[in-house]
Amino acid sequence: MKTSLSSTDIDLQKTISKNRLAGIWRMMQGFRLKYAGAVTSLGIAAAAKMLTYLLLRFFVDSYFVTETRTVALPLLALGFLGLALAEGGFTFLSGVLSSQTAEGITRRLRNFLYDHIQHLSFTYHSKMQTGELIERSTSDVDALRRFFSDQAISVGRIILLFLINFIALLNLNVKLALVSVIVVPFVLVVSIILFKNVSKAYEAYQEQEAILSTTLQENLAGVRVVKAFSRQDYEMAKFEKDNWEKFIRGKKLLIMHSLFWPLSDILCGAQLLVGYMVGALMAINGTISVGTYLAYAGMVIYIIYPLRNLGRIIVQTSTGLVSYARVMDIIKEAREPLDEGDHLPTANIVGKLGFKKVKFEYEPNDQTLEDITFDVKPGQVIALLGSTGSGKSTLVNLLPRFFEYTGGKILLDGVDLNRYPRKYLRQQIGIVEQEPFLFSRSIRENITYGVGRQVSDDEVETAARAAAIHDVILSFKEGYKTLVGERGVTLSGGQKQRVTIARTILKNPRILILDDSTSSVDTETEAEIREALQNLMKDRTTFIIAHRLQSITEADLILVMDKGKIIQRGKHEELVSQPGVYQQIFNIQTRIEVELEKELANAG
Amino acid sequence: MPDNYYEEEEFQTRFNQKTFRRILGLAKPHLKWVIGFLVTIALVAAMDAVSTFLSKHIIDDGIVAKNPQALTNLLIAYGSIVLIQAGNVFLFIYLAGILGERIRYDLRKKMFNHLQALSLNYYSKTPVGWIMARVTSDSERVADLVTWGFVDSTWGVMSIGTSMVFMFIINWKLALIVLGILPILLYIAIQFRKRILGEYRNVRKLNSKIVGAYNENITGVRIIKALGREKENLGEFKELTGSMYKSSYRAAWLSALFLPTVQIISAFAVGAVVWFGGYQAESGQMTIGGIQAFVSYITFMMWPIQDIARVFAEMQQAIASAERMFSLIDSKPQIENRPQAIDPGTISGDIIFDHVTFKYEEDEQPVLQDFSLHVKRGETIALVGPTGGGKSTIVNLLCRFYEPNEGRIFIGGRDYTSLSLQAIQSRIGVVLQTPHLFSGSVRENLRYGRLNATDAEIEEATRVVGAHDFITRFEKGFDTEVGEGGNLLSVGQKQLLSLARAVLAKPEVFVMDEATSSVDTLTEALIQRGMETLLNKCTSFVIAHRLSTIKKANRILVIEGGRIAEIGAHAELLKVRGKYYQLYTRQFRHQLETELNIFQETPANTAAAD
Repeated sequence: MKTSLSSTDIDLQKTISKNRLAGIWRMMQGFRLKYAGAVTSLGIAAAAKMLTYLLLRFFVDSYFVTETRTVALPLLALGFLGLALAEGGFTFLSGVLSSQTAEGITRRLRNFLYDHIQHLSFTYHSKMQTGELIERSTSDVDALRRFFSDQAISVGRIILLFLINFIALLNLNVKLALVSVIVVPFVLVVSIILFKNVSKAYEAYQEQEAILSTTLQENLAGVRVVKAFSRQDYEMAKFEKDNWEKFIRGKKLLIMHSLFWPLSDILCGAQLLVGYMVGALMAINGTISVGTYLAYAGMVIYIIYPLRNLGRIIVQTSTGLVSYARVMDIIKEAREPLDEGDHLPTANIVGKLGFKKVKFEYEPNDQTLEDITFDVKPGQVIALLGSTGSGKSTLVNLLPRFFEYTGGKILLDGVDLNRYPRKYLRQQIGIVEQEPFLFSRSIRENITYGVGRQVSDDEVETAARAAAIHDVILSFKEGYKTLVGERGVTLSGGQKQRVTIARTILKNPRILILDDSTSSVDTETEAEIREALQNLMKDRTTFIIAHRLQSITEADLILVMDKGKIIQRGKHEELVSQPGVYQQIFNIQTRIEVELEKELANAG
Repeated sequence: MPDNYYEEEEFQTRFNQKTFRRILGLAKPHLKWVIGFLVTIALVAAMDAVSTFLSKHIIDDGIVAKNPQALTNLLIAYGSIVLIQAGNVFLFIYLAGILGERIRYDLRKKMFNHLQALSLNYYSKTPVGWIMARVTSDSERVADLVTWGFVDSTWGVMSIGTSMVFMFIINWKLALIVLGILPILLYIAIQFRKRILGEYRNVRKLNSKIVGAYNENITGVRIIKALGREKENLGEFKELTGSMYKSSYRAAWLSALFLPTVQIISAFAVGAVVWFGGYQAESGQMTIGGIQAFVSYITFMMWPIQDIARVFAEMQQAIASAERMFSLIDSKPQIENRPQAIDPGTISGDIIFDHVTFKYEEDEQPVLQDFSLHVKRGETIALVGPTGGGKSTIVNLLCRFYEPNEGRIFIGGRDYTSLSLQAIQSRIGVVLQTPHLFSGSVRENLRYGRLNATDAEIEEATRVVGAHDFITRFEKGFDTEVGEGGNLLSVGQKQLLSLARAVLAKPEVFVMDEATSSVDTLTEALIQRGMETLLNKCTSFVIAHRLSTIKKANRILVIEGGRIAEIGAHAELLKVRGKYYQLYTRQFRHQLETELNIFQETPANTAAAD
């Protein structure tokens, strides 16, 4: 397979053009010659087909009409075979070249899109829906592939067939040639109009299919509810309604097809009839030879019938163009540069941080963070406390440069944070998310995910032990090779969390961001996770988004946040003695213990 | 998308006569239609051959004989054939197409209705994606075989047959040559088709992997960025697209080779015709029209051959589809009404578990062992204990989603297997841990509880559980769409609606699996109130997490390892200072922290997980 690897990587962002066709042309960079070759081959194949009919004409005229027999029969037979070989060979070549083009461009596009998506900013991902992105990266890319592999080439084929045969006909007899194309504009118009409607009807059919799938999916997902209320009959009636609607829409679509094909058959048939009539009369008069009539009768078919499909393909091509625009919408978004930044230390960071009047707004005049000032010594634990939307998540998201602060300054080891390349920063920072995310691969691969180096089994096990997940992993039949997700085991929330903790331990970051939530965790495993987290926090500068008091009391600095501002700061002991939010929280906590005592006393 | 993502495995089976007959059976109720399209398609094929034969006569009797009258007659005949063909084409597309839609419709209906009868054990064993694929794509494939597969193969066989007949009429010696080449053509075509199909199967497999890769890349983008794994990911993805390129290219390569190969082989036949036909022309045995007809027949023949090959190759896939589909249709519900099952009109009364033992799978340890319990009418039972201890199993058995392997369950004095499923399930109100709503309006979802409920009753039920306020605050009130799976509502709102739905059902027994996810204080209070109304009215089983629920229960069961570890009222159990005591104190701290909202969190949005 000849795929020049050099042509597989181009910056598709640079190919964007307002004119879609121009954009597609630019996208074909590196494949244009191949595609041109594909089209040329098609032309040659069409010419060979046309020549077959001319050879037939020669054969008939010299053996039946004039009986001159200048060329021996075996030679003629070889001629037919040779032309067939040429036609077949070039058709094949064209197929090969066009599929190399289509698949090559698609591969390049897929790779680029994939990489592009993982380089797009957080802001983009937070506003774009997952389903929509996947849809565009898969279905729309495939529509574009079909544009290159089938549609564009089919248009070329039909036009070439028409031109070559028409020119040949003109050479045989101008009048006959002109008589034979009367119907062409009609066929074209009818097929374009019809297929526009067909594609509408088809969309309606697909829509109903989606509705039906949703109904089915909801029924299956809610099977307990259905059974609990014994609503089987109701569900059947609901499904019946959607199912019947799909039948009706399918029927509509079919009726259009069942009308178009015979109608266009009649149009084309009438044209043939007229052509045959005129041609035959000319042959009788002797204006043309019998052989010419035969050649005509063969070639005229390739002028008329392929045109019926042209309408369909043109309509499909327009959907390919829509897909192109949808894909390019993603590609035109700016990437987040990973290596940009002029300060790249060779060693690890120490973990000293200084926030000075830091400001952040997602959009102008929407202040998410304001006047954030505090200092962190290496190895300290900072607890962030506040309601949803108080800005604590945004604050920690500034550290790995997921978001860029818009005012003030953050100094890391005395250097402006913006001067560190994102890639370096992210290597130095470990994040344990509130909702742990695992990839559908083995547990081992999940633990070593993102470490970026070969890791020995010992190391993996040590990390897993520290994360209190080793024993759980060994209890699976395939141990560390156990697959996670649909094809493998389903881990509980707590187990997932401990796998991600093991992952972070292995990564060994200098700064740790912890979302200290155990909402998805059984009370039994809470203690184990607690221990795992303690192991993880050792010797690292740690930011905790706090959900529990234990993590706060031990913190070196507690920041209480509200509406993007720090409203209270200090150590636990200090804050407890100050009137304010923190004290209230603490009092509640104390009250809980008192109440529990009361409870127990009452009961006992 | 991520939740429904399911990688479909494709497989093929050997030709299975029994399955094939059963597939044919699908068309049986529509025999008239089948005969209709088979006859018209056969006519189409025959007429095509006739019109080529007419062309021969146009040349020989009209042009060469210089007979304008004969020519006109022949052209008129040709024209009429065009018209008849148009009619036939219309008929076969219409008949086969609509029958295809109809069979799809029938199959989907049959499967869906059967699915409603199947028991929960089927659903716990079978991924939703697998079932979906049966109902959606397999039904298509099988219906296609019964309609278009028949159409194409009949057309193929008929056109080859009639063409051969006419060739024999024109010149039997030459026809023999063509007949000799036919099997070779067919064999090659079928081999090609099979390989192409195989390649496309690879392409589809890889494609679903690519979709999966995109899915992970997008949903996990946070982690990927945080771990700086972009480069490795791209490397892995490039391998995937590389294999995809190879497979698609191979498939395209084979497809591109297929038609030319068939064409070239037929060209041998054309060459032979020219060669021998030319010699025979000298002796006058062969006419110009004859040569023309032969060339037309031979060049046209590649189409029927390729159709037959396609049907043949795809048939195996369709049979595999049919087998999976039939396996769904044939699976028997584990729990069915007994022959003399009755509906006593009420199931109110004591509920007794009598030495019940249960396991989900044959070769498993029992989840519930020798479990006995006597619940008085109107009692509230709280079930507590660790995950996997058997709490849900007790509830599943009570609702008769499953039946005991050993021992018996009595409801209202009757062994519950003597009652109909409908009698039991329509009188048990169930609220699940993760509330499930259906797309549609709030009203439609509530009415699910009782189909003949009036709007006033529905509103009343929402007032009882305190959902009325938030519903009326919606712009469209009760007509607000809840979205797929209810995802336009918050978790708390969904819980309230599912409570209201249960209230509306006016159950005699109430079963609740309390949600663990926290909701805001106000919603929490509303849910409490709604629950209480139900608890007071019914005999209730609650898998409890909330202290108030636990405390209010008449009896608390600590379930551990499939047995009752502790049983008694709240105060009694606390005194024991045993498992319940530990559980309770921990839960107490945990819940009060959340309830008092000391960290001022709004609950994490778990809507996406539903």
